[in-house]
Amino acid sequence: MFSGSVRTDMKVAIGAILAVFLWTGTASADVLDRGAFAAALCGDAASLGSAAEAVTRRAADLSRDDLAWAAQPLRGILERRLVCLGTSAVLLDRPGAGEGRSVVSGDPQPAAGARASVLGLRQRALVETADGVLALLAAPQVEARAAGLWAAERRIAAVPDGVFARAEAAETDAGLKAAIARVAEAAALSSPDPQRRLAAIDRVAGAPSSNALSRLSALKADAAYAADPAFRAALDAGIAQVERAVAVGNGLAILYNGLSFASILFMAAAGLAIIFGLMGVINLAQGEFIMIGAYATYGVQEALRLIAPAWLDLYLILAIPVAFLATALVGIAIEALVLRHLYRRPLMSLLATWAVSLFLINLVRVAFGTRNLQFTMPSYVSGGIALYADFVVTWNRLFAIGFAAGTLVLTLLVLRATPLGLNIRAVTQNRDMAGCLGIPTRQVDRLAFGFGSGLAGLAGVALAPIYSVNPQMGATFIIDSFMVVVLGGVGTVVGTLIAALGVGQINVLIEPFYGAVAAKVIVLVGIILFLQWRPEGLVAARRRR
Amino acid sequence: MSALVVESLSVVFGGFRALDDLSLAIDAGEIRGVIGPNGAGKTTLLDVISGITRARSGRVTLGEAIDLTRSSEAEIARAGVRRKFQRPSVFPALSVRENLEIGCGAGCPPAERSRRIVEALTIAGLESQADRLAGLLAHGEKQWLEIAMVLASDPRVILLDEPVAGLSDEETERTVGLIRGLRRPDRAIVVVEHDMAFVEAVADRVTVLHEGRTLYEGAMAGARAAPRVIEVYLGR
Amino acid sequence: MNAVTGSLAATRAAAPMPVQRRYDAGLLGLVAALVGVALILGLAKPETYLVNAIGQLAALAILAVSLDLVWGYLGILSLGHGLFFAIGGYVCAMHLSAHAYAVTGTAPDVMQFMGWASLPFYWTGMTSAPYALVLAIALAVLVAFLFGWASFRSRVNGVYFSIISQALVYVAMLLMFRNDTGFGGNNGMTSFTLLFGFAMGAPGTVLTLTIVTILALAAVLIGCGRLVASGIGRQMLACRDDETRLRTLGYGTTALKLKIWCLSAAIAALAGILYVPQVGIINPRVLAPDLSLEIAVWVAIGGMGRLSGAVIGAVLVNALKFWLTAAMPEAWPFILSGLVLLVVLVLPNGLLDLGRLKPTWLSRGMPR
Repeated sequence: MFSGSVRTDMKVAIGAILAVFLWTGTASADVLDRGAFAAALCGDAASLGSAAEAVTRRAADLSRDDLAWAAQPLRGILERRLVCLGTSAVLLDRPGAGEGRSVVSGDPQPAAGARASVLGLRQRALVETADGVLALLAAPQVEARAAGLWAAERRIAAVPDGVFARAEAAETDAGLKAAIARVAEAAALSSPDPQRRLAAIDRVAGAPSSNALSRLSALKADAAYAADPAFRAALDAGIAQVERAVAVGNGLAILYNGLSFASILFMAAAGLAIIFGLMGVINLAQGEFIMIGAYATYGVQEALRLIAPAWLDLYLILAIPVAFLATALVGIAIEALVLRHLYRRPLMSLLATWAVSLFLINLVRVAFGTRNLQFTMPSYVSGGIALYADFVVTWNRLFAIGFAAGTLVLTLLVLRATPLGLNIRAVTQNRDMAGCLGIPTRQVDRLAFGFGSGLAGLAGVALAPIYSVNPQMGATFIIDSFMVVVLGGVGTVVGTLIAALGVGQINVLIEPFYGAVAAKVIVLVGIILFLQWRPEGLVAARRRR
Repeated sequence: MSALVVESLSVVFGGFRALDDLSLAIDAGEIRGVIGPNGAGKTTLLDVISGITRARSGRVTLGEAIDLTRSSEAEIARAGVRRKFQRPSVFPALSVRENLEIGCGAGCPPAERSRRIVEALTIAGLESQADRLAGLLAHGEKQWLEIAMVLASDPRVILLDEPVAGLSDEETERTVGLIRGLRRPDRAIVVVEHDMAFVEAVADRVTVLHEGRTLYEGAMAGARAAPRVIEVYLGR
Repeated sequence: MNAVTGSLAATRAAAPMPVQRRYDAGLLGLVAALVGVALILGLAKPETYLVNAIGQLAALAILAVSLDLVWGYLGILSLGHGLFFAIGGYVCAMHLSAHAYAVTGTAPDVMQFMGWASLPFYWTGMTSAPYALVLAIALAVLVAFLFGWASFRSRVNGVYFSIISQALVYVAMLLMFRNDTGFGGNNGMTSFTLLFGFAMGAPGTVLTLTIVTILALAAVLIGCGRLVASGIGRQMLACRDDETRLRTLGYGTTALKLKIWCLSAAIAALAGILYVPQVGIINPRVLAPDLSLEIAVWVAIGGMGRLSGAVIGAVLVNALKFWLTAAMPEAWPFILSGLVLLVVLVLPNGLLDLGRLKPTWLSRGMPR
């Protein structure tokens, strides 16, 4: 480090001399003295190297025009196309050509008797760096700028901050822009200038992520950490700040994942709870209704691929009505064929719906195979937006959450504002009385069962971009859905919502610390204990014995 | 002497006050009729006394000291308070005799038990049906069997919830006789019923409930004449 | 109460469900037949695989009886009875592994998978068969007691109880799938070599195991038969049909349910103890919710509320399963689901309804 600083100091001194020699004009508007620069290139090895170094250091302040101009002879040196007649530099079109153009004036000039510029090993590196910096700042093609960045990164200590700042500001390609920012940060962190390092640490800590944390942590191995108390204090503070932010970001990410899991649970359990409240039947095939929804989504995707490939991205939207109707119809068929006969035997209806689920799983297995379905990810559910630290709001989960919110509104609207909803609530509270008042209770049962099944189908659409879709997928959700129904209470959408949020979040919160299994155990034990306190669940529907 | 005292009892379901600061006292040896329109709180009152529904506030005291609002259904039943439900609640998979055995209670000595069963069978007029499954009885017979089950435990307080609902005139008449026959000096009987004529025939006094409160208490003739009762009960 | 507006509460007014309550000819005949089968097997010594299959069926029949006791007679449908079965099975497997380890010195698979030098502390004493037997039953009863106590005292019943019991067995399955629990994880425990010092697969051992299992089944049937014919049995039926009514007649139904529930768990654990040495393996798949549901299916097919029905259902369905999963594995799930729907819709009393095939479900509902 010390020897490095000494060398740097020497460079600074040489640079200062050269600056006097090359620098004309004011500091705010730096203008390259092209003649002096061209002459320096034709000087001895030391002057060539110094010229390259100086142009590198001043690159951030030079005009774009100067940069583009200086890039030509430097590239020429590397490609052996620059020759010198005394101190006059001539640029050839190809190495060994008999005629070229004057570097300063651009006029044609014969190259007979010219000597090649002197390029030592050390100078070569300086020229390459200068070439890279100039390319990064002034090359018209993105590939050339990317190559320039790569060259600059190799000798990053020699490149001033301003170069990266200017390049990043001017860059139009998003990928390259991010790469420049990354390199600039690394440059600053390993800078020989202590002030610059401290500022860099501050900057890195100001944009926290686990990546930033690992980069800052790596600096603890730096000699300055042991030697320089100010540096150590700044670094420790920076690390602490990033650690806090990363923890908060991870917490947010966990909550977000929990929210999306809760959304799926809510959609699966809302149907269960409504049906249970109405008919006293728990549908063990609800998980398979989710599966049907997901397979219907797949069907819509494949149909679009065949009929209208241009619209393929819209399949998730188009699948919403299709999946709802498909599952609702399956539900209505099952109600009409099986459950209708079992309303007085709720325990037997458990067996019957289990048989239905067994049948559906195996039907799908035979028809589609057991492998996970492949979904193309439309742009609106791929990627996400980085919000804070490592917390990325991914569109696919946001889709599920928004979807569940929509389902909640739809369910509340259906229950509160439609004749069917009024009938469902009436029959849930007092079936006999509702029957006496002329409400067709059996028809209400059937439509409600179709509606509840359709909600499970919607859950299938929402989870298609997140979870694997295969014949056994229903089992993943059914037990958690039971827990939600038991916790939330019978026949209440609000209770189901609160319970789904609780079960979803608790599952996801416990998982990172004690594992998925412990999460399930804790949720189950928690619910059993909760029932000691409130046997009817969170929100109890009043009913007459 | 009061056998059963209800003091400022309140029961709330959600936002609905089923019983609102209700108080009443029933004497030993008395048959009390409780009438009132639908939703007046009649069945809720019986539910609280028999421990099925918990009161938000108030007390129900049996005899001198037993607080029923703090007891479980089984403890209340063992203390001598027995109830007949609105729907005939007999055990369909058991025979009539077995239903009565269950009705006697677990602590009943065997000698006493067979005597009480025979007595209960006679009172209910089900001697010839003793070995039939209760589920196969006619509706009226189920009502009587349930009264007989209540009786078999020799209770101090009998709560009857609509004992003549769904019965023919002839069966109702027989039930009047049956209930009058249950009266003993050390026993209080509460009859909840819609049928005014029936209540007049069995009850010594009536309590008219409305919206969880007492509207009238006294002789049936007085109830028929009270303007408030007429207004509420006859729906004017 | 007309059929169209039938409600949950209406179950109380519905027609009685026939149950087998006394030592009727069916039950006594079945016990006699079982003893007869045991005798014939002992004398004729048929092919070992057949003997083994009969023994497995008898163990599963015990399991079915344990469920019928709580479902058919007490109205509690457990969809998690596989848990108690598995507790018996796992403890038995631990005993067999520890026993073989002590005699032959071959380390059990569990140790080899995990690279352990010795068995975890909870394996202590597993070499003793009486200790393992007592532990298996006690553990099953303890788990049943804790779960039952929490559920029954908060009046969790009916469908609620069923789905919570299913969650219980599901959670237990996830727990046992973990490899670090010391019970073999995903692979479970297998390759048992010795039973009381006798070679595991030897014809004599298999025959003895089968006969013991059949006699255990006969004993369970006699015991449960006496129980359901007693005063307790009357209370069970009363509780099944109207628990609130029974409470208002002065009976503490929570204690009654808890006692029978624990007894049922003990019988299920016994079935597991007898089953594992016959199949030679136990793994977390016995805790799959589907298996627990299948037990209910056996009972429903044989006819719930009849001890003999549970036995007949378990034997028929499992014999069919043995045969069909080998002959046409793809078709078995469809046949099973078809059977369930057939029984549930057309034969509410199980196969015994075949004798008097009329669609009772059209005219009147059945309780639960």
